[in-house]
Formats: sequence, structure tokens, C-alpha cells
Amino acid sequence: MSYETDLLRIESIIEELERDDLELDRALALFQEGVERLRTATAALSDVEGQVRMLVENAAGGFSLAELGG
Amino acid sequence: MTSRRRTAASRAKRAPSAAEPDLFADPAAGAAPYDRRHDERAADASPALDTPLIPGESPASAVPVTTLTRIAKDVLEGAFMPLWIRGEVSDFKKHRNGHWYFCLRDEASQVRCVVWSRDQRRIPAAPDDGMQLSVLGQLTVYTARGDMQLVVTAMEAAGDGLWRKALEETRARLQRDGLLAPERKRRLPLLPRRVAVVTSPSGAALHDIISVIRRRAPSVEIIVVAAKVQGDGAPEELVDAIERVDRWREADTVIIGRGGGAREDLWAFNDERVARAVAACGTPTISAVGHEVDVTLCDLVADVRAATPSAAAEAAVPVLADLRASLAGLGDMLVSAMQRRTSSERMRVANEGRMLQRVAAHMVERRRTQLEAIGAQLHALSPLAVLGRGYAVARALDGATLQRAAQFRAGLAFDLILRDGTVRATVDDVTPDAPDVRAPRDPSA
Repeated sequence: MSYETDLLRIESIIEELERDDLELDRALALFQEGVERLRTATAALSDVEGQVRMLVENAAGGFSLAELGG
Repeated sequence: MTSRRRTAASRAKRAPSAAEPDLFADPAAGAAPYDRRHDERAADASPALDTPLIPGESPASAVPVTTLTRIAKDVLEGAFMPLWIRGEVSDFKKHRNGHWYFCLRDEASQVRCVVWSRDQRRIPAAPDDGMQLSVLGQLTVYTARGDMQLVVTAMEAAGDGLWRKALEETRARLQRDGLLAPERKRRLPLLPRRVAVVTSPSGAALHDIISVIRRRAPSVEIIVVAAKVQGDGAPEELVDAIERVDRWREADTVIIGRGGGAREDLWAFNDERVARAVAACGTPTISAVGHEVDVTLCDLVADVRAATPSAAAEAAVPVLADLRASLAGLGDMLVSAMQRRTSSERMRVANEGRMLQRVAAHMVERRRTQLEAIGAQLHALSPLAVLGRGYAVARALDGATLQRAAQFRAGLAFDLILRDGTVRATVDDVTPDAPDVRAPRDPSA
């Protein structure tokens, strides 16, 4: 979800940056935020392989993730 | 009623009882209980005994009705295997006790049928009068009435009538509750961190889903929520698994599904409880049951219906490489928007600078001209200008101008300011003028 939020925010920042009446200070702050969000979003696209696990609920209503087939 | 049937059946297999010794002597040979040879053998074996009365042979040996119906029941049940029988349904009744009663008939005959409530679970829906059915039933006798009846444990209607009917009934209920409304459909997250998969851990569907997600978005975590997907107890396990994911709240998307199979195998996904659990799930859902052609109620209530488990995985996660490319594009757009912004800003600053310079230069020039004019004016008015014409000004050492003879006395040092310099001088003598010579200035004096 946060990836999507970042994406939408970057898009709206670009839109705002393209407006003529934007103050330079504000433009700089927006740009900085855009770069930061771009970094977060890129990090979300990591190549690290996620795990496949099994959801297990215990008697107390708590949850744990078990190895598949284990 | 069931227990009484069982009791009667077990009694039939027991050793002869005191009350009705001969009738239950040999249930396997029950088709011919009045076999005379039996009596002859008995007579041969014990010639000393009186010939016993043959049950039902005379008014004296009349058999009770219950005995008759029990024998008839045993005979019928022994003679008939469970058979598939076809006919048209009439007089269908759902009794308060939960059992179904109806007649199955054709042009010439009819047979009474019953479906015990415990056998109804495997039947998708109750049949309607007029439906053409094939039923699997055991022929027996309902001893309390002496009626022959067929105890039905399975049924199929022509043209999948029962399945269609069950589906339509459930669908109508879901529709009435607004669960099929398109506006209920939620958008799936673009990039989920965790995808939960409610399915059988040993099924092909899970394998397909895992391999598609791995290929497209390897970093996405896959959480298997095990449930039986077909057979007895499957709906309950599916509901339980869906509710478990919902309570967990850590999944971003839930896939519910299984691979292809016979219609009966997919039926759990048409179960109303399963459909309602999917509809109630707080996490966005993708339903993927069977193949393209199979549409289940679960598909209808889910946020997204995927034709196959693989398609569900494709709907659940994006291709990371594509996302990376579009993100890079977005980054470029951000930078160029900022560059445009700063370059236009720089241009503006430069423009304004030039303008300011122009204005300032103009202003300085005007001031200079003004200043020169004032300077000339001032110069013209300056007493010192007189010096240029050959006059001198006497000034005391403290700077005061000395204008009158009375201001001088012998020995006083003073300065004489000339056109081109200052002369230090000392007074030798002072001679004031006579008053009358001095003035038209002061005529009264």
C-alpha cells in the first residue's frame, strides 16, 4: 500500500512542480520529498526472494508462520 | 425412525427369539419362510414332538401385522441392492423433522421416497414437483404404515437441474443482501508485500500460484492458509481459513481457489457460507476456482475473479521489472520538472537583475545631473566666489569671519583667505573710519 501511496505522491509532486506560480522554496521542498519517496518505492522493488510459509493460529488466538510442509 | 430401522435389521440377524422362533431362524432364506421341507426336516429330526403350528397357516397361528411388515422389509432389503431409479417428482414435502418425502412416478406407477436429513448434505437442493430425477435408493418397507418406500441417498436432476437450482437460490440470497453489487468491489493493492493463498497445500493450484508470483515479483511473501477444497467438511475449512486470514490482518491480498475438477469437486466454492466469508473478508480477495468455464458464487462475491489460479497470481502481483521501469520514468519526470522549474526561475532572476541594473543606472544618472546642477547653483551663490575676483576674506584663527575694524587689535594673528590659498598675518595697527564716511547704510547714526 505504501508503494502505491509513494507513487501517487510523486505524481502529484510532479504536477505541482509544473505549475508556474509555485514558490521556489516550496518547489525545492517538494522535489526533496519526491526524491525521498522515489528511494522508498525503489527499495520496495527489491530482488530479495520472499518466503513461502504457512499461517498457523494457536489456541490463544495468536498467529505464527510455519515452514511449508513442516 | 432411523434407530428403529436399525434395531429391526439387527434383530433379523440374531438367533431365534422365544417369542417368534421360526420366523427369524434364517433370514438369508427369508424368501421362502413357509418352505414345507423345513417342517419335514423338523419332524424327521424329532419325531416324538407334535407337529408345530406353521405361522400364518391357520387362524390359530395368525401372525401379527408387525411381524408381517418386518418380514416384508427384510425380504425387500435383502432382495434389492441400492439402485438408480428414474421418474418424475410429485408431492414433494419438507417435513418439520427435516426429512424430505415425495413420490417418484412414471405414466403407470409410483413409489414413495424419503431422504433422511443427514443424507441431504450431499444433495445440492431439494427437488421440485415435476422435475425429472434419477435417485439412488434402497427399497424398503415403512413398517409403521406398511408402505413400500425408497430411501434415497443421492439424486440427480435432468440437465443439472438441482445444481442450477441450488446455485440460483443461493445467488438470489447473496444478491438480496447486496453482496454481488459491483460497487462493493475493492481495488487490489498494486504491490502487496504479502499474498495469502487459501487452498489445499498439496494442490496444483498452490504450485501454479507460487511459481507465477516468484517469476513476476520474487520479493512478495506467500502465506499458505490450508483448507480442504473438496469433499465433506471443505466448506467449513474454507470458511475457517478465510476468517483466519481476516483475523491475522497481515496479508495485503487473499487468493482463494483451487485447480480444475468435476463440478462436485468445485461445489464447496458455491457454498453460501464460503461466499459470505469471502464477501466479509476485510482484505481484498481474488477468487480462482477451476478453469475459465467454471464460475462459482465465490467468484461472484470476490473483488476480482480470475479464470485460473495462475491468472489469480498474475492479478495479485505486478511484474517487478515493469514497475522498476515505470518508477525510473517517474524519477526522470520529477527531475525534469524540477529542472524546468529552476531554469525558469533562473531566467526570471536574470531578467529581473537586468531590469534592476537598468533602473539603477538610470536613477544614478539622473541623480548625477541633478547634483551637478545644484552644485553649480551653490557655487554661484558661494561667498568664496568673490575671492575669484581679487577679494580676500579675513578670518580669525577660530574660523570666525572678521568684518569690522573693531574686531582687530594690534598683534592679533588672523588668516587671509585668498583665491588660491591662505596667508597667516598679524595686525600692526587699527584705524577705524569716521562714522560719517561709512554709510548710506546707517543714515540715522
